[in-house]
Amino acid sequence: MRLSRLFAWLPGLLALAAVLATAVPPGRIRGFDVDKFGRTPVLEGGRIKPLDSVARNALLMIRSKQSVPSEGREIGPDEWMLDMLFRPQVADAQPVFVINDPDVLGLMGMQQGANRYFSFSAILPHIQEIENQARAAEALESVQRSRFQNAVVNLYERLLLYNQLENSVELADSPGLYAELQGLGTPQALQRQRSLADSAKFRMLPPLPGQSPDAWQSTGEALIAAGSGPAHPALLSLALAGAGYKAGQPEPFNRGVAELRGLTANIRPQALRHANSEILFNRVQPFYLGMVIYVLALLTLFGSWLWKRELLQPAAFSLLAAGAVVHTVGLVSRILLQGRPPVTNLYSSAVFVGWAAVILGVILERMYRKGFGTAVAAAAGFASLIIAHHLAMEGDTMEMMRAVLDSNFWLATHVVTITIGYSGTFLAGIIAIAYTLRKHIAPAPDPATTRALVDMTYGIICFALLFSFVGTVLGGIWADQSWGRFWGWDPKENGALLIVLWNAVILHARWGDYIREKGLMACAIFGNIITSLSWFGVNMLGVGLHSYGFMDQAFWVLAWFILSQLALIALCLAPRRFWAARAG
Amino acid sequence: MIKTIAVRCWKVVASLQVTIVALILLMALVVLCTLAQTELGTLGAVNTYMRSFVVWRQLKGAPFPLPLFPGGALVGLVLVANLTAVVIRRFEFNPRKAGLWVVHAGLILLVAGEFATGAFQVDARMTIEQGQTVNFLESYHQMELAVSDITDPAHTEEYGIPDPRLRDGASIPVPGTPLTMKVKRFYVNAALSPLGAGDPPSLADRGVGAGVKVVPAAPAASDKEVNATSAFVEPTAGGRSYGTWLVSTVLGAPQSFIHEGRTYMLSMRPRRYYLPYAITLRKFSHDVYAGTDIPKNFSSLVHLSNPARGEERDVLIYMNQPLRYDGKAFYQASYGKGDTLSVLQVVSNPGWLLPYISCVLITLGLLVHFGITLFTAIKRRQLAGETA
Repeated sequence: MRLSRLFAWLPGLLALAAVLATAVPPGRIRGFDVDKFGRTPVLEGGRIKPLDSVARNALLMIRSKQSVPSEGREIGPDEWMLDMLFRPQVADAQPVFVINDPDVLGLMGMQQGANRYFSFSAILPHIQEIENQARAAEALESVQRSRFQNAVVNLYERLLLYNQLENSVELADSPGLYAELQGLGTPQALQRQRSLADSAKFRMLPPLPGQSPDAWQSTGEALIAAGSGPAHPALLSLALAGAGYKAGQPEPFNRGVAELRGLTANIRPQALRHANSEILFNRVQPFYLGMVIYVLALLTLFGSWLWKRELLQPAAFSLLAAGAVVHTVGLVSRILLQGRPPVTNLYSSAVFVGWAAVILGVILERMYRKGFGTAVAAAAGFASLIIAHHLAMEGDTMEMMRAVLDSNFWLATHVVTITIGYSGTFLAGIIAIAYTLRKHIAPAPDPATTRALVDMTYGIICFALLFSFVGTVLGGIWADQSWGRFWGWDPKENGALLIVLWNAVILHARWGDYIREKGLMACAIFGNIITSLSWFGVNMLGVGLHSYGFMDQAFWVLAWFILSQLALIALCLAPRRFWAARAG
Repeated sequence: MIKTIAVRCWKVVASLQVTIVALILLMALVVLCTLAQTELGTLGAVNTYMRSFVVWRQLKGAPFPLPLFPGGALVGLVLVANLTAVVIRRFEFNPRKAGLWVVHAGLILLVAGEFATGAFQVDARMTIEQGQTVNFLESYHQMELAVSDITDPAHTEEYGIPDPRLRDGASIPVPGTPLTMKVKRFYVNAALSPLGAGDPPSLADRGVGAGVKVVPAAPAASDKEVNATSAFVEPTAGGRSYGTWLVSTVLGAPQSFIHEGRTYMLSMRPRRYYLPYAITLRKFSHDVYAGTDIPKNFSSLVHLSNPARGEERDVLIYMNQPLRYDGKAFYQASYGKGDTLSVLQVVSNPGWLLPYISCVLITLGLLVHFGITLFTAIKRRQLAGETA
């Protein structure tokens, strides 16, 4: 008995150990201390972050992946950033631009084939045409653009980002920072410095003692300032590191990076500490690993229905618990790194919806011990993290909050409650789907389990109604505080109201006995449709004060999701094993 | 007979079916209203679907608009009637149901608050430049024909005629003056352009209007458009006409005439509401995050001066932090002129506290009710476990 209990917890512990192993910092690559360079704090997008975050987010936006093949091997974001900054010819040959749209490929005279990745050099001859097409498309509202136009605007934006990054520390076609420092006074130099200052994507030089903590400088700005005063001490270190990397000499590179770090540690120790914590978060990728662990939990649980249930079901639960731990640690890290409540944008809402559903699922599993809690929690965790994974392609997920949203009080109350409401409605829907599938797959009816599933769904709907209602009203109060009206029938508000109304309809219909077991479950699945529309659908309308981000690719995903839910509702209402009856 | 019909009606009104049907209708309306916003703008969609008793639609080929759907106001009323009836019919004093009663009382309060808002809320704006002092609010939607006595530059007397009174052929005496305004033509919205060579002469024979062509336009439907309200008016006094003038919200140039030594200026402008106090904009700030143009905060440092109450104080109005004063709330709404001009939205809503109260009631009610339900369920499971 003892032993089997230990065995049940083993998979979870192993998963946690594997996660911990990813936190170990990598060694030097070809003798270069790339890791230390990636830890350099920079100011970008209004906040201090490690250069590694800039590199990762940019690579995700441009390539949809966090690595790129170069000179016969895969390189990570930090090495890619080094190539971008100091070896632009090498970077330009790396296939970093992912292009899927056949018309955009056709614009460049290319056929859609196995290769979806193109280097900057390959795109360069067509850049004028891409710019013309993108400019024409940008004149239209994003809702009115065709698929090609959206794709070409997207490519153009990625090209601009690429260009900014490449010209952030030194101009891509210049001899380098050393040469700039030596030829400070010449008339052409000032012009180059200005264009460098204009194109810089991030600011790498920390504010000197006595300056405002926001006064980070890009190398272009620092070079301009150096023309009329003492040069920023970090410029020389950066020039040394750059020259070393360019020449393939690790020793000067490592020395330059160490000097830069030493200086930052002296004058802005807090920025360095923050960068060190964030890079740990970047490297561990808790949400990605959590997703993998949830899949393992789900597979183990499926296995338990076929073989050795008494052994595998607890093992699946231990994996789920491990996934929940990793998910929670990731969520808490984000809260600490950002200094904000957990939900600040669409990405973090996906992470949080999944987290809340997993925690509810864990509680359900402890209450009923039927394995269904594990199944729905793992499925919910996996689904929400995969959504988050795709939303992360849109850029920095810890972006700054726009003026009216800059309120930790309301983010912590309204946004968190309403998101828990989403979680509850989804969880009820997922339990109902589990009920539906089980009804048709299970060889013999099992009234006790069915009863448990119905109880769970009912309870979760009550829970969801409470949170979505309170969240909606709190949202109204926030709106009253900031815009002067409690309720304005804004699309996002309407979406929230729909969830509240639907949950109220289900509960009233249940109380009035108009729906029973099957009806309740079908209604719960319909709740998935309402919640997905309210969560993502309203953002696609492009109207209202809440529309933060129009996502056209997501439209089709949403359409398919809704169709699948409708099919499941039909399946839920169909008689048990209806096909078997016909066959028999 | 009558009694049985009444009893039946009563049963229907107080039934749960009505609740469910009304809730589903409300959901449908919310969806329609949301979708219509891309076309009609928020205000247009809300007026069509939510603030109406019946949704009218002009179908192709139909000679007049047809009633297609019950409107939000009707559904809301049905829900309130249903809720009240259910409360009366089923009321029993049972502590286990206490949570539900509190929830539904809170709901009635919430709906009442929304009706109060629809009926009594007044939205206006206050536009102030840095250093300027303003003692009036401007309406977002209503216009007025303003007649200002500017004889004494230090002391201007103003009379506003609100646009509902401006109708073709109306003759409106201006209180406090010997003037009467004859409205020759009134346009809720119009397109103004310079008079071309082939165009018929303008109705106006004085001021800039003599060279302007006015074409009627459909009233603004979306929230982004603003009506160019215009009118041809003829001021008369003591049997004497001062000619016909064109006034419009899009005409900037001042137009005035002199009657018995007093100079009167004519203009069409957003309707003004004067306040017994004044607000001075000391400084408008537009903060961004370092190195970006992402807005971090908008704030207006204003000075509030109310001599009647002896109040003189500075107030900082910023995001999520309105100034509540004199039954009104002043919100930071917009800005302009290179960050030297601030636009405050000013809302007076006597029912603004109702949602806050109802939120507390409903939250407590739901917590109590679901708490009781959960407790009972756990107890039942324990009992079942013991007997098994």
